Amino acid sequence: MPYDPRGSAMGAEATQISALTAAAAHALCLAGLAVAHSLAGRGALVSDPALALRLLVVCEAPLVIVVFSLLRRDPKHCSFLKAAARGLLGLPIGALLNAFGAVVLGAPVGIKFWTATIYWSLLMSLFTFVPAACVFGASKVDWQNALSYSIYFTSSDVVEYMISVPSHGAVIGAWLGAWPMPLDWERPWQEWPICVTYGAIAGHLIGMVLSLILIVAHRRRVRVKAD
Amino acid sequence: MGLRPSCTCVFLFGSGQQRSSGDRHRAMGAASPSGAALAGWTVAAVLLQVAGLSLFIYGFFPVKPTLPGFSGAESYRAPSCAPVGGREDPALPPDQLRSLYRELSEVPRVYDRLVLMVIDGLPAEFVLGRGGKPPSKEMMEAMPYTQSLLTGCRAVGYHAKAAPPTVTMPRLKSMVSGAIGGFLDVALNFNTQAFLDDNLLDQLHRVGYKLVMLGDETWIKLFPTLFHRQDGVSSFYVKDTVEVDFNVSRHLDSELAAKDWDALVLHYLGLDHVGHIGGRQSVLMTPKLKEMDDVIRRVHAAVTSLHENSERTLLVVISDHGMTEVGNHGGSSYEETDSLALFIGHSVENSYCSPYDQKETLQVDLTPTLALLFGIPIPKNNIGVLLPELFNSLSDDQKLRTLELNSWQILRLLQEQKPAFCSENCVNLKDDFRVDMLPESIDEKLCHLLSKAFASHRSSLLHQDSDFRSVEATGHSRTALNAYSDFLRYASEWLSHRATDKPLYVLVSAISLMIISCFSLAGIIFCVFEGKSQSQVEHNSECDSDKHWHLDEAFILMGIILYVASLGSSSFVEEEQYIWHFLTSTLYLIFLIKTVQSMLKDSNSTLVQRAEAEILRRNNSYLTSYKLTPGQPIGRKLYTILIILVAGRILRAWHQGGINWVHFSDISKILTQCDSSIVKSLQIISVLVVMMLYAVSLNLLRARRMLVIGLWLSHLSCGLLVMLHIWKSQVNTSVLMNHSTTSIAQIFYVIASISITCTVFLSPWIFPIHSKEAEPTSSSGFNPQKAIHLHGINHSVFLTGITYTMFWCLLQLLLQQPINAIPVLLILLQLISSVIHFSLNKSLHRQWVQVVAMQFLGMTGHFGLGNTNSLASIDVAGAFIGISSYSTVLSGILMFIITYGSPLLLYLGMVVYMSVKESDDICTPWQIRWSSILGKMIALPCLLPLVINSIALTSYTIVLLLMRNHLFVWSVFSPKYLYVCATTVCTYAGVSIIAMTAAYTCAVFSFRTRVFSFRTRKYRSM
Repeated sequence: MPYDPRGSAMGAEATQISALTAAAAHALCLAGLAVAHSLAGRGALVSDPALALRLLVVCEAPLVIVVFSLLRRDPKHCSFLKAAARGLLGLPIGALLNAFGAVVLGAPVGIKFWTATIYWSLLMSLFTFVPAACVFGASKVDWQNALSYSIYFTSSDVVEYMISVPSHGAVIGAWLGAWPMPLDWERPWQEWPICVTYGAIAGHLIGMVLSLILIVAHRRRVRVKAD
Repeated sequence: MGLRPSCTCVFLFGSGQQRSSGDRHRAMGAASPSGAALAGWTVAAVLLQVAGLSLFIYGFFPVKPTLPGFSGAESYRAPSCAPVGGREDPALPPDQLRSLYRELSEVPRVYDRLVLMVIDGLPAEFVLGRGGKPPSKEMMEAMPYTQSLLTGCRAVGYHAKAAPPTVTMPRLKSMVSGAIGGFLDVALNFNTQAFLDDNLLDQLHRVGYKLVMLGDETWIKLFPTLFHRQDGVSSFYVKDTVEVDFNVSRHLDSELAAKDWDALVLHYLGLDHVGHIGGRQSVLMTPKLKEMDDVIRRVHAAVTSLHENSERTLLVVISDHGMTEVGNHGGSSYEETDSLALFIGHSVENSYCSPYDQKETLQVDLTPTLALLFGIPIPKNNIGVLLPELFNSLSDDQKLRTLELNSWQILRLLQEQKPAFCSENCVNLKDDFRVDMLPESIDEKLCHLLSKAFASHRSSLLHQDSDFRSVEATGHSRTALNAYSDFLRYASEWLSHRATDKPLYVLVSAISLMIISCFSLAGIIFCVFEGKSQSQVEHNSECDSDKHWHLDEAFILMGIILYVASLGSSSFVEEEQYIWHFLTSTLYLIFLIKTVQSMLKDSNSTLVQRAEAEILRRNNSYLTSYKLTPGQPIGRKLYTILIILVAGRILRAWHQGGINWVHFSDISKILTQCDSSIVKSLQIISVLVVMMLYAVSLNLLRARRMLVIGLWLSHLSCGLLVMLHIWKSQVNTSVLMNHSTTSIAQIFYVIASISITCTVFLSPWIFPIHSKEAEPTSSSGFNPQKAIHLHGINHSVFLTGITYTMFWCLLQLLLQQPINAIPVLLILLQLISSVIHFSLNKSLHRQWVQVVAMQFLGMTGHFGLGNTNSLASIDVAGAFIGISSYSTVLSGILMFIITYGSPLLLYLGMVVYMSVKESDDICTPWQIRWSSILGKMIALPCLLPLVINSIALTSYTIVLLLMRNHLFVWSVFSPKYLYVCATTVCTYAGVSIIAMTAAYTCAVFSFRTRVFSFRTRKYRSM
């Protein structure tokens, strides 16, 4: 992966975000999920997946868009509203991409699954596409970095960790969550998209924790270098 | 379409590498192991694998040891502990033998004559209902007479559980001998041989019964000399549902009137054929059931009129196996094993009965029941237990005597299996049977049950002798009855498990052979990689950035590990199609992400590249005439992957497949319910598309040679023949198999095999080793000769490969079920798109990733064509297309071709892929080494499938060894193992086709080069 000098310059600018800020941002997103969970009640995802997913999307969407629009790249040239608009636009696009991936991987396409699939892909879009859309906009280099896994090996900036790691976690979690679906255990949660959603949320949370760890490690490395 | 045998693109992309090509070659020669050694090691490893596999099969699927000889008078004496010498009873004439048996048995014969009516494939559910409920109204109305017998308590019906494999011949064998055959009997089903073990029919024959047989000729093959009269019908024409049964019923009147037989066997095949054609819900099912009911009515009417003449006749209606919802059988689902045993005779008549209770029994229980009802010794290898309800006409002590005889026979079998086991010891030592201690070992438990049974029998006899208080006597005899049936059930169960006993050390050594072979294959491939990377590292530093792992590579390794892990779970084995689809589409999604990423990257550095490309193009302008355009629309890379992904998703939706979720609706089920003209038009569209694709790909060669035109014409005619065959073959009709369709298929086979043979042998000769386009440039820095050779060889391999692929597709369209036409086309599209994608993105994925991706596609397609890991999904009907006389080998080959159509298609497609792939290392300009070109060409496409298959085979063998006592070992794991073995055979076949095609082509080109350079030298010297 060629290291782009432009990217590093911008990265230096963006490292102003402290680990504490990152933790706060993650905590806010987490709070959205928690509110949705408490509103829906226990086991709502299994009994009525469409409703639970809708609640999750409704609670999470404004939080994610606001938080990541505040963290936008290049805040001098790009207003908050513009970043938020990018996020709003990114929501359906990301949902479309996620839905395509899910259907290609075998998600059912029957009419009775449509609403659940739509809400699920909106949620996945919030986990993956929307934060990147808010922060990066149309910067190709950043998108390319976000897609690749090289950030785990080469040092990059804090926002990149904050976006990439949880979204990778959500995708991998959803992928792993699909494994029990064909089994003959005859449990209600084996239905699409319940266990995939569980997997995605779990992966997303793990990704958040991992990104915080990476950020702290990164800060320490930077400090050592500075000394 | 950007598909073109691309030999020269190398020069475009690799111009930076040209400088050091001279010393690169030297280093490469030193680093990479020689081709011959590689091939030798590979063959050795494969042979080792074959040896291990055959040893394992020998150990795991034992041809069950059966006791030789026939039961005689000794079966009426209690078995002794001393080893019985080979004392044979003197051969008595039938009459004396019969009276001897009657004397010894102390039980009168219950019946004199037997009518055994076998209805092939009739599920018991159709007659007896399921789960205590009567069958559906439609079924009740279809068989009015049988139902009236059942409700009138004049018949008793059982759900007789058939042991897997639920295929006719093993089931017939087990019904007459009472033994559960080995699992591999299914392989012998098509090769029926005379049955030599002890069995009911031979026993009946010995006591002078006259046997008459009408129906399935399997009986005649099993018992060639036994029948007094016989008329066999062949089960060969699976599509015929009328004639087979008419040929049985036409003798019925005369046979029922005749008095010279004592046992009549009727075997009706029509119902099984109906199932194979249309499934359980076929429109032909109800008429067929009516017909069977009519036969039962006629036979019963005839035998009841005989009954007045004091000839007591037993009518037994049985089926050898059931059928799945779609009408297949072979597996071990409830639907397949639920076969019928219906007894109609005086001893089962009762004043009160509940005919639709779920009465479960085993199919083998038929043997001792019939033997004891007819007063003959129970066959030696029987593990069945008699059905007490059939002996209701006997007194209590006579009933106990029949149970005792059954126990003695089982005891003899037990002693044979466990030489230390001895009944006398049990009876003597453990007289205190009342102590309810919990026995630990199997021996002790058997002993305990046996002594209990014998003791209670004795006490019941004593009570009957001493006083005649009938209540107490009945109580005692009931205790004895229960004790006997406890023992018999337990012993029978143990014996049937015993049939699956395996020698552990053989299995372990077989597995270690396989592991060695697996590791050596992996070692060989490691050597190949090592040689490659060394030659790369030394000569172009650009490759250094490629050193670390890519996402797709890591995913493939993880996917293989996940797949191997999933083999250990019976649920995943049952639903393997999900895993393959999931892994393959994830892999291609990763390809998609990588492509998008490379597009993003490209657009960042477009300017630099464009300048470079411009320089390049100016340098190599002569090459532009026959190379892939370098600045092609980047979108094409995306389209190819999208096509693969979407086609894969449609394939997945086409057949829901699997074992547990068969009832889910899918496209194939919807289409079957539709009009058959839709299916036919889909078939014709697929044939047309295949023909068109072949024409387009031949056109890409831009060679207007006789062979190419001839091939095109022959493919065209083959396509027309397939269409004709589709047009003529009638689905869902009962017309006798059309002979014209057979000859059409035969003409197809002839034309296709001639064209393929011609292509393979001639194509290396027709492409020029010397190309005109390259000649003017021979003065430039490039090496024209080299380019020319690769050009020719790639064209030739391309022609061979595309011919293989397209003819294979036509063959599949001919043989596969009509519903599978579109899936075959989709797999072909996936194949072509992958080849195009890989030829467009030469540097994006490593070569081994490409080969593995194609192999994954093949396995996904295998399940996409509706195959499962149950033997029931094998398409038997297609295996007889174009065969005019019965041949085990031919129909076996056709069955293999149908089942493994998709993996083999992808292996054939790999030949095409070899011709368009990047050959990243080039030989020296001045020294062409054909062996190294060959090595480059086939090393990975041959080795990787072998390695992956070896990993799957070895790990599954270990799983099977670990699961050998699992509940599902015979129903889930063993059928899967047969599939794994067949996949291994398929891999060998595919790899050897790849290797031989490439080797032959290279050999011819090397010969032609030598001749050419010899001539040039001669010409120059003159």
